[in-house]
Amino acid sequence: MTRSRALSGQAVSLLAALAASGRDWRHGYDLARATGLRSGTLYPLLIRLEAQGQLEAQWQAPAAPGRPPRHAYRLTAAGLALARGHRAAARSDEESPRPAGGEAYS
Amino acid sequence: MSDRTARRLAGSVGRLLRHVFPESQSGWVRAMRSEIEQVEDDRAALRFALGCLWGGFRQAAARRLFSHGQGVAMMKIKLRHPRNAGIACALAATALGIAYLVAAGAPARYPVVNAAAFLLGIVALGGLGGARVQARVHSGPLLLALGSCLLATALAGASAQGVSRWIWIGPLSVQVSLVVLPAMVVAFARGPTSLGSVGMGVAAVALALQHDRAMAGTLALGLAILTIARPRPASVGALIVALAAFAVALARPDDLPAVPFVDRILFTSFDVHPLAGAAVLLGALLLLVPSILGRRDDPVPGNARWVFGAVWLGCIVSAALGNYPTPVVGYGGSAILGYLLSLSCLPADARSARGRAETAAQADAGTPSALPRGASLA
Repeated sequence: MTRSRALSGQAVSLLAALAASGRDWRHGYDLARATGLRSGTLYPLLIRLEAQGQLEAQWQAPAAPGRPPRHAYRLTAAGLALARGHRAAARSDEESPRPAGGEAYS
Repeated sequence: MSDRTARRLAGSVGRLLRHVFPESQSGWVRAMRSEIEQVEDDRAALRFALGCLWGGFRQAAARRLFSHGQGVAMMKIKLRHPRNAGIACALAATALGIAYLVAAGAPARYPVVNAAAFLLGIVALGGLGGARVQARVHSGPLLLALGSCLLATALAGASAQGVSRWIWIGPLSVQVSLVVLPAMVVAFARGPTSLGSVGMGVAAVALALQHDRAMAGTLALGLAILTIARPRPASVGALIVALAAFAVALARPDDLPAVPFVDRILFTSFDVHPLAGAAVLLGALLLLVPSILGRRDDPVPGNARWVFGAVWLGCIVSAALGNYPTPVVGYGGSAILGYLLSLSCLPADARSARGRAETAAQADAGTPSALPRGASLA
């Protein structure tokens, strides 16, 4: 059973970057640059997301001769739903009315 | 560092990844290595590779400490073993040293070098301490070979003001005695054979030739503790040569000036900030912790641990008294590597402690000694 727990800010940032690409494949270094995550944080997150079924990965043929094949990633349907859920929750937090401190103490 | 060197280092770090990540993640290791090759900028590739390595270490540490589902209790038990405690202390001391270097405004590469030395030492310790040595490896020839390395450094190493203690590895100078001597002394304590005694004697002569009062004194102190704990002809002979070498080193001039961020920092760090001074002092003291940890069922009470403590106490006291490197907390990877390598000669658990007891019994009976795993490869 997949363990459910609050996602870290780094995981949310990675999910957002992957979700922005929709069904397009992304690469590790490209994701690191897009999210500002260090590779030592990025790969453990990718490994965890894949283990949880949120991420799918595939090997892509080398773009140029002499280059190794490249590992590429994109969110699964479950991953996309998770990313959308987080985005919606974040949006509703931003839009919820907050008490105005100045008024409360005036 | 040149771009070419950075690219080569990135490739080397990439090759290390498979030793850090578990077999089940070998596909991910391949993915990381492939991605490292795709990064066009050489330095960025090195940063990317080091990041992957660091991520692997974090995962491995978490697995080791918590994978058995016993959490903190398991961690406490593991930390009671001198080698595990030593790794934790080395990590803390390196981190405190890096904090000092940053606070003191050291050049940016200094903390990087120390961190890289720690990672390298951990990899070496994993390779040496974790490998099960099936065949018996005699300690004597190994100690003799390491003593000869010290002698070769004294005769043909890089010199400063007539003193030859270093070799150049790429852009870095390495003080060979700091890397190998602590491990040699602890390995010798676990199996003091006649040939090992010769190896220690050669090392002592080399230190006298290097005008190195600090390491010569450290060697003499370690052997003195060993001889007091376990007086045997091999250790007595080595001690006599080491004392003579120390006397010679004391009689010879050693006028090397203090190097910023390396020497004298036990005192100067307090000028930076009281907290920086406290970090340096605490980091240095942490190095001694493995020597005071033991188990009630330890079959050979203390010998190797006491000698380990004496050796590192010797290094710290030397750094306080003269212009010698402050181990682990000061700038320089040699002591960090040396500390982690010397940990490989300490028992990791009760089973290897029993192996040590057998070794000691063999040595005492005058038969060739077989070093327990790890110690044989120091």
